[in-house]
Amino acid sequence: MTYIVSLFLLGLVLGLVAVASNPAPYFAALGLVVAAGVGCGVLVGYGGSFLSLVLFLIYLGGMLVVFAYSAALAAEPFPESWGDRSVLGYVVVYTVGVMLVAGWFWSGWYETSWVVVDEFKEFSVLRGDTSGVALMYSYGGGMLIVCAWVLLLTLFVVLELTRGLSRGALRAV
Amino acid sequence: MTPVHFSFTSAFILGLMGLAFHRTHLLSALLCLEGMMLSLFIALSLWALQMEAIGYSVAPMLLLAFSACEASAGLALLVATARTHGTDRLQSLNLLQC
Repeated sequence: MTYIVSLFLLGLVLGLVAVASNPAPYFAALGLVVAAGVGCGVLVGYGGSFLSLVLFLIYLGGMLVVFAYSAALAAEPFPESWGDRSVLGYVVVYTVGVMLVAGWFWSGWYETSWVVVDEFKEFSVLRGDTSGVALMYSYGGGMLIVCAWVLLLTLFVVLELTRGLSRGALRAV
Repeated sequence: MTPVHFSFTSAFILGLMGLAFHRTHLLSALLCLEGMMLSLFIALSLWALQMEAIGYSVAPMLLLAFSACEASAGLALLVATARTHGTDRLQSLNLLQC
């Protein structure tokens, strides 16, 4: 499990390198999907199975699908991938930069700092994060109401932004 | 700083650098913002898991809800830009240039 989580951490950094190196939005969305999926694996490795499930279903299944759909608005005839000259330079610069900073911290990483803490525990059905998230419905009720209010407000913001007649934010169309 | 802390910190800084340095498409900037939100979610979850403070595992959920608001507002701006200008390249938004 330690080796797998180490691979997941490497994939998380490389996924963000793939997003930040400014390819066409198709490929950037692909890099973000990889980073989100690998982040789920990291959270499973550290014992947060419910938070990992939420990240997988809500983030990867809900939000990134909308992002991948919106990539059609940024359509290009020749989308540039990571192999093109302008993007490859940024990929190399970001990767080498991360490796240099990792080399700076390398002397402080011993064998035990890679080990996932959860390996030394017993198997358990009732994990802490499941019951912790359930606290949102009892003690965290105020924040739950604030969250629902913000989501409702965002719904009206989105509707006003994309209305497009004489009253909304878009009047030129 | 353990390797997992280094990983999400470098992921956040990479997203921030991508947002700051590259501005050809609006959607690329929004994707970099989403990458920053992803690293923040992982950071908050790992903090609650490693400290075994189970009451604070509510915080990543609230962060995810607020990042959904941010993503939907950004994509609505993207749709509005694509309808008025025909493209989402930030060069076409030259009313903001000074």
